[in-house]
Amino acid sequence: MTVATWLLRRLVASVAIIVAVITFVFILVHLAPGKPCLGQDEIVDPAVCARVSTQLGLDRPIAEQYRRYLVALAHGDFGYSYSLRRPVRDALIETIPFTLQLAGAALLLDFLLGLSLGIYQARRANRLPDIILGNLTLFVYSLPTFWLALLLLLLFGEKLAWFPVGGPSDPIFCPVVDSFYCIADRLWHLSLPATTLGLVGAAGTARFQRAAMLAVASQDYIRTARAKGVPERRVVLRHQLRNALLSSITRFGLALPFLLTGAVLIETIFAWPGMGRLAFEAILTRDYLLVTATALIASTLVVTGSLVADLLVGVADPRLRVRAAREPDIVTA
Amino acid sequence: MLRRFLLHCFVGFVVIAVAGCERRGGCTGAWCGTLINAAVAEPGTLLPPSSEDIVANDIDEQLFLKLADVGPSENTIGDEDFQPLLAQKWEWDGPLTLVFHIDPRARWQDGPRVTAADVEFTFNAYTDSAVGSPFRPKLLRIASVTQRDSLTTVFRFKERYPEMFYDAVYHMRILPAHLLRPVPRDQWRTAPFGRQPVGSGPYRFVQWLPAQSIELVADSTFFLGRPGIRRLIWRFTPNLQVAVQQVIADQADVREQLVTPDNVARARAAQQLAVYTYRGNTYTYLTFNQRSPDDTTKPHPLFADRDLRRALSMAVDRATLLKSELGDLAKVPPGPMSELLWIWDPDIRQLPYDSAQAGRRLNALGWRDHDGDGIRDKDGQPLAFHILVPTSSVLRRQYARLLQAQFSAVGVRVEIDELEPAVVGQRVSTGKYDTAILSRSNDPSPSSGIAQNWTRAAGASNFGRYYSPEFERIVDLAVTATSRDRARSLWRSAIETLNADAPAIFLYALDNAAAVHKRVENVQLRPDSWATLLRTWRIPPDRLIDRDRVER
Amino acid sequence: MTLGTWLALALAVVLAAECVRALRQRGLRQERWRRFFRHRTTSWGLGILVFLALVAVAAPLIAPFDPNRQLDIVYLKNHPPSWTFLLGTDVLSRDVWSRAVYGARVSLGIGALGALMAVSLGTLVGAIAGYYQRWVDAVLMRGVDVGLALPRIFILLMAVALWDGLPFAALVIAIGLTSWFGTSRLVRAEVMSLREQDFVVAARALGAQTGRIIFRHVLPNAAAPIIVSAALGVGNVLLLEASLSFLGIGIKPPDPTWGNMIADNAPSIYTAPWSTVVPGLAISLVVMSLNAVADGVQDALDPREREPA
Repeated sequence: MTVATWLLRRLVASVAIIVAVITFVFILVHLAPGKPCLGQDEIVDPAVCARVSTQLGLDRPIAEQYRRYLVALAHGDFGYSYSLRRPVRDALIETIPFTLQLAGAALLLDFLLGLSLGIYQARRANRLPDIILGNLTLFVYSLPTFWLALLLLLLFGEKLAWFPVGGPSDPIFCPVVDSFYCIADRLWHLSLPATTLGLVGAAGTARFQRAAMLAVASQDYIRTARAKGVPERRVVLRHQLRNALLSSITRFGLALPFLLTGAVLIETIFAWPGMGRLAFEAILTRDYLLVTATALIASTLVVTGSLVADLLVGVADPRLRVRAAREPDIVTA
Repeated sequence: MLRRFLLHCFVGFVVIAVAGCERRGGCTGAWCGTLINAAVAEPGTLLPPSSEDIVANDIDEQLFLKLADVGPSENTIGDEDFQPLLAQKWEWDGPLTLVFHIDPRARWQDGPRVTAADVEFTFNAYTDSAVGSPFRPKLLRIASVTQRDSLTTVFRFKERYPEMFYDAVYHMRILPAHLLRPVPRDQWRTAPFGRQPVGSGPYRFVQWLPAQSIELVADSTFFLGRPGIRRLIWRFTPNLQVAVQQVIADQADVREQLVTPDNVARARAAQQLAVYTYRGNTYTYLTFNQRSPDDTTKPHPLFADRDLRRALSMAVDRATLLKSELGDLAKVPPGPMSELLWIWDPDIRQLPYDSAQAGRRLNALGWRDHDGDGIRDKDGQPLAFHILVPTSSVLRRQYARLLQAQFSAVGVRVEIDELEPAVVGQRVSTGKYDTAILSRSNDPSPSSGIAQNWTRAAGASNFGRYYSPEFERIVDLAVTATSRDRARSLWRSAIETLNADAPAIFLYALDNAAAVHKRVENVQLRPDSWATLLRTWRIPPDRLIDRDRVER
Repeated sequence: MTLGTWLALALAVVLAAECVRALRQRGLRQERWRRFFRHRTTSWGLGILVFLALVAVAAPLIAPFDPNRQLDIVYLKNHPPSWTFLLGTDVLSRDVWSRAVYGARVSLGIGALGALMAVSLGTLVGAIAGYYQRWVDAVLMRGVDVGLALPRIFILLMAVALWDGLPFAALVIAIGLTSWFGTSRLVRAEVMSLREQDFVVAARALGAQTGRIIFRHVLPNAAAPIIVSAALGVGNVLLLEASLSFLGIGIKPPDPTWGNMIADNAPSIYTAPWSTVVPGLAISLVVMSLNAVADGVQDALDPREREPA
C-alpha cells in the first residue's frame, strides 16, 4: 500500500469519526433534561421559555433536528447560539485562537521540558539526580491540576506579582494584539495557565521518555554504536532519542483532546476564554448547537493532530512503512 | 541538552519581562482615569427591557437614562424627593395624569435629540408581551404614555396610589426609537443592538470582547456634567476568588461585592484598597413548595400543612448559621426583604428559634420516630425532602449543608440536589421541587417586590405558590396607603401575617462590602444599585497611576 | 483522638508493614517477585496502599468523630490542627481527619470500581480487536478513535446531565464507560504481537476454541500492560473525581470524598489551607504509590526493560 492509499483511507476514516462524534454528542445533549432557557441565573416565565424553544425549532422531533443540522452544516452554517445570542460561528472563531495559543504553549512546555528531563534522567539512571527527579515528577504528575493552578496564582500572581492574575491580555492597553508589545503581553498572560498544564504534562512525558530511552538503551544497535566509537552525544541524539521519540509523538496525539476541551478548570480559574470554558457553559445552558459545534471543532483538531502524528511517525520509522504495506492499520503507541 | 533548554527558557523570560514593563500613556490632568471592575458573570445582552441580570443593569445604568432618579433619602412615595435626569421638570395634570418635560439638552449618542416619541416607544416596548420583559408586571398600573409635543410626554394611570411617580420613572430606561423601531419585537432578546447599544447616558459604549471585557468611555458633553472617570472597563473572571485576587493584586480597581468574611479580611489587608460597606438589596431564603411536584394541581404531601412548615421553621437557628458563614456581613431578614427596604424592622414578629418546641409540634402532628432510625415518620413515610440549590453559589451550597445538619438534629432527613442554575431555574418555575434556596433582589419600594412575588397575582413568579387572602388584603391596603407611617404599620402587619404562615425560611440579607482602590475619591454607593452614581466618582490628577494615563 | 483510635491507627500501620514483609519473604523464592520488590519504592508504595485500604475498611474504628457532624459552626470553624482535631476542621466545622478516613472509602471505592470497569471493557474490546483483526478490528478501533477524540470531562459532563444528581453507582458507571479507550489500544497491540507466537499457533492447530485461546493463553501473557493500566487507571479516576467535584458534580453531600473535600474548602484555601492540602496530598499519595507498584509490576512481568550495562 502506498502512502497515498494509506492517506486516503485515513482521511475517509477521519471524516467518519467526526460524523460519529457529532451524532453522539447531538443525541446525548438532547437526551439531557432541562430545556434551554434564557440565561444562567435568571428564572424565566415558562411561557417565554416555550416561545423561545419554538422559535429555535427545539420542539421538533430529534431526527428532524438532526437532519436540518447536517444540512445547515453542509452549507457552512453552524447555527445560532441562543445562550450567547450570537451566531455559533462567531463565537467559535473568537475562541479558537485562544485555545490554540494555550494548547500550543502547554504542548511546547510539555515537549521541551519533558523530553529534556527524560533524557537527562535516562543518562543518569538510578543515580541520585535520577531518583530525586523521578520522585519529583511523580509528585507533580499526581497533583490535581486545579490545585496547582490555585497555588501558582497565589504565589506568582498575588504574593510575588510576577505574573497577572488571570485574563488573556491587558484590557486597557492591549484588548487586541496589534503590536509587538501586545504579543509580549499575551505571552505574559499565557505563562501561568500554560505552565500549569505543561508542568503536569511534562512530568508524565519525562517518566515516559525515561522509560522509553532505557528500553532502547539496552538494544544491541546502541551497544554496537558505542563499540564503534561513536561519540556519546551522537549515540544519544541520533540513535537513542530518535527511536524513543516515536512513542512520544503519538502521546501528544492522545493529549490533544484534553488540552482542547478538557482544560475547563484551568480556563475557568485563569479566565482564559478558550473552547473548554465555552463548551462547559454551553452544556450547562443546554445550548445544543454550540455544544455540537465545539465537539465538531475539537474532534476535527484531534483527528488532524493524530493524522499528522502518524505521518511523522511513518516518516521517522521505516519499519512501520514496511509493516503498513502488509497490514491495513498502523499500530501506534 | 538540558542546558540548552534552560538557556532558551532564560532568554524567553528576559524577553517577556522586558516587554512586560508597564507601558505609559500620556494623559494628564483631570480628564483621565480608568476604572477596572473585576466582574464575575458576563451579561447576555445590554438591551434594558430584555435583561434582568445584575452586571447588565450596572452597565445600562451608565449608558441609558431614566426620566428621574431616586434621591439620597430613598423616599419612593410622592414625587418631591426625586431628582431630574432625562426629565427636566414635571407636574400633575389631574389626579391620574403626570406630565414630564424632557430636557432639551439631552441627546442620543449618535446625534439626534431625545424626544417624547422615544418615551412613548419605550413604554410600548416594555409592556409588549412579545418582548417579554421581566419589568412588564411592574408597569401594569400605567394606562398609557403619549406625547403632547416633541418634548412633553404624558403618563396616564389606571388608579391612584402613593407610588405612581416611582413606577413611572424607576423601571424604564428610555430607549432610542429611531434605532429600535425597525427591530421586530419578538427578536429583541437577540437583537444586535444588545451587543452594541446606543444610549443617552453619561458613558458611551466602546467595545465588547466576548468572554473578556466590556469597555465604556465617558461623554465629555454629557448635559448633566462630565463624568469624573474617563474610562470604565468590566473584566470577566468566572471564579469569584480569582476576581477578588485581581483586585488585591492591584490589577483591578473595583469589586462591588466581596461576599465572604475571608475576602473582606484580605481586602482590608491590601494596602491600596479601601473597603466600603453599604446596605444590600438581596435576600436569600429557603422556599417551601406548597404544590405537589408531580402534579401541580394537588397540594404538596408535606408542605401544604401550615403547622408542619411552622415547626420546620422553628428548627433552624438562623442567627447561628449566619454568624458561622457570614460573620457580621449579613443580617437575618425579618421577612422577604433586604435592608434596603424602608420597612426593614428587626422587631417584626417572626417565628422564634426553638428546636424543643419544634420537636414537640412535630410529635403533635404525628411525626415520631417509630422505627428507631433517627428519622421521624408517620404512616410508614419518613419525614424527608430535597433541597434544590444551584451549583453557581458557594454560599447557598454551604447553607444547604448547614440546614441539612440542623434538620437532622430534629429528626428530619434532607437530601441536597446541587444542579446547574439553568436546570434549577426551570424546575423552580415549573414547580418540580420540594424546597429550594433562592435569592431575590429588591427595588427600593416594597410594593414592586413583595406584592409581586408572594401573591397569587404573581403567577409563576410566586415559586412556592403561597396564597393567603388575608395577606393580600393587607398588602392592597399598604400599597395604597397615602402616608408613610400608615404604610409602615400596614406593611408590618402584612409581613407578620406572612411570617406566621411560614411559606419560606428567610436565611440572610447580605450587607455588601465593596473594595475600591484608594485613589478614587467621592465614592458614592447607593444600596439599590451601586453603580448608579459612578459618574460622580473622581480620580484626582495627582493620584493617577499608569492605567489611568492611557490615551484613546 | 482517643486511645482506642490511636491504637487502631497504629495497628493498621503495623499490619500493612507486616503484610509487605510477608510478601517479600514469600517472594524471594520466585524470580518475578524478586524483580517486583527490587526497588525500595515499590515496597513503600505497596505498604501505603495496604495501609490506606485497611484504614478505609476500618474507618469507624479509626475515625474519632462522625465525618458529617458539624461540631460547632461558630467557634470550631476552620480550626487549625491540634491534638483533638488531628488535621484541623473544615469550613463547616467537621473534623478533617475523620472525613479523610471515611473519604478514603468512597474515593478508593470509586477508583477501584471505575478502573476495574474500564480495564475490563478495554481488555475485552482490545483482545477481540487484536485477535480477530480485519473488519472487526477496523470497526472497533474506529469506535475507540471516536472515544479518544473527545475528552472525558466533556463526555462525563454531558452524561452527568442525564441524571438529576448523581448516585454513586451512576458515577462509577459513567467513569468506567469513558475511560477504557486507552487500555483497549494497549491490549490490542499486545494481543496482535502475541497472536503470531508459536504457542498460540500451536493451540489453534490443535483445534482449541478461540475464547479459550484468548483467555487461557494470550491474555495471561499480556498481563503486564493490563495490570499497569489498571494501577494507573485508579489514580486517574481519583484525579477525575476531584475535578468533577470542583466543577460541582459528584457525590451528594454530606458524604465525604477526597475530591469534594477539596471542592468544598477551595474558598478558604488561603486562610485555612489544611482542609484542602490534606485531601490533595492523600490523592497524590495514592497516585504515587500506584505508580510505584505499577513500575514494580512492569519490572516483574516484562523483562524486556533492563538497566544499561
